[in-house]
Amino acid sequence: MKSWSVISVLPLAAMALLAGCTSISVQVEQEFPAVVAKPRDMSVVLVMDREFRNYLARPNSKTRIQFGAAQVEALSKAFNGLFAQVEVVSSKDQAGPDTDLVIVPSVLEVQLSTPSESFLNVYEVWIKYQLDIETADGVPVDSWFLPAYGKTQHSYLLSRSTAIEDATVVALRDVGAKLMLDFFRIPAIHGWVQQRQAMNSDS
Amino acid sequence: MKYGAFISLAAAALMGGCASTTTVDDFRPTLELIDIEAGEKLAVLGRRDAGHYETDRSFIDCLGKRLARSNLQVISEQEFVDALYPWFEPRTAPKALKRLKRIMQDPAVREKVQLEKIRYLIWLEGEVETQGMSGAMSCGVVPGGAGCFGYNSWEKSAVFEAIVWDLVDLTEEARIRVDSEGTSYLIGIVAPIPLLTPVESQACEGMGEQLRSYFFQEEG
Repeated sequence: MKSWSVISVLPLAAMALLAGCTSISVQVEQEFPAVVAKPRDMSVVLVMDREFRNYLARPNSKTRIQFGAAQVEALSKAFNGLFAQVEVVSSKDQAGPDTDLVIVPSVLEVQLSTPSESFLNVYEVWIKYQLDIETADGVPVDSWFLPAYGKTQHSYLLSRSTAIEDATVVALRDVGAKLMLDFFRIPAIHGWVQQRQAMNSDS
Repeated sequence: MKYGAFISLAAAALMGGCASTTTVDDFRPTLELIDIEAGEKLAVLGRRDAGHYETDRSFIDCLGKRLARSNLQVISEQEFVDALYPWFEPRTAPKALKRLKRIMQDPAVREKVQLEKIRYLIWLEGEVETQGMSGAMSCGVVPGGAGCFGYNSWEKSAVFEAIVWDLVDLTEEARIRVDSEGTSYLIGIVAPIPLLTPVESQACEGMGEQLRSYFFQEEG
């Protein structure tokens, strides 16, 4: 009886220990709500290439987070709240002649913090984006750094993959919040919008 | 027989110790009932902006269910934050009425609130803390069996604050603070027997009753 218990407990304990060491792959599949806002009467083209659409983050050697499709959805919906016409294309050449702005988002870095590293009872994800913004003629307007942050409420009873997915979803929702708050406050964008309005009122 | 009676008495004494003390403090600018029309809804939301903790979702769910049982229409937290995305995310959620008024100036937000018939917003903030662990328990396994002997006790306290905002008049209707505390025990008499003090559900009950009394006349 005793030897049976030892034999059955040891592999379980070893599996539990190894679970913390093995690599993990997380796929984020999430729909995001539409943004509640009155968009400005402008037309933008969002350029999201194949790499961005299939983005695979490697925040450390043991973790992979695939959130390409989720970030395309999150960013598209957020920009639909900012601009009346948003077209999502895969290369700059596809931008139409009536486009006001061309925006190319890219992921600079993804960071992950787990309870075993931070000694906090939460999983945290940071996604650092860069938005390269230019006019339809290719004149650069700005290159804007867009950080997003997400965390789980706690880590009790959450598997590692579920917790990382949840934190990533919160970070992607934060992208929408940050864009709605700050996009038109970017000095270069603010100046460009005012200049455009002045030109429209003159003509 | 004597041994059985002793255990029953000890258990009864300990169960008595598991009772919690709940205090409800509230502030309202008026004693009049809060006006709510048929079809209008309440949303119960937890604060998410504190770095070290988030308001417990189980408490938010408990309060929502308790209010729903009082014939109030309650919209869930997730439904509300999705319906008004992204204005109630941790980064954007208004902490004070001034900011709420600014958000509600946006016609799209105002229209959505009207469309969803969300009249009141109840902000919840707080947590359950465990402290003062004492006692000792040891468990062992021998070829003939296993067992635990001893006892542990710990203090639990639940402190929650609710603020009620009117999304139509853009005013603060009420503030409630609930403190609930009690001692829980784990007694090891061969098998460990937990005697837990339900401070969170007591706090939920206290806050739910108080909120209900703002909307409906007390009977009797």
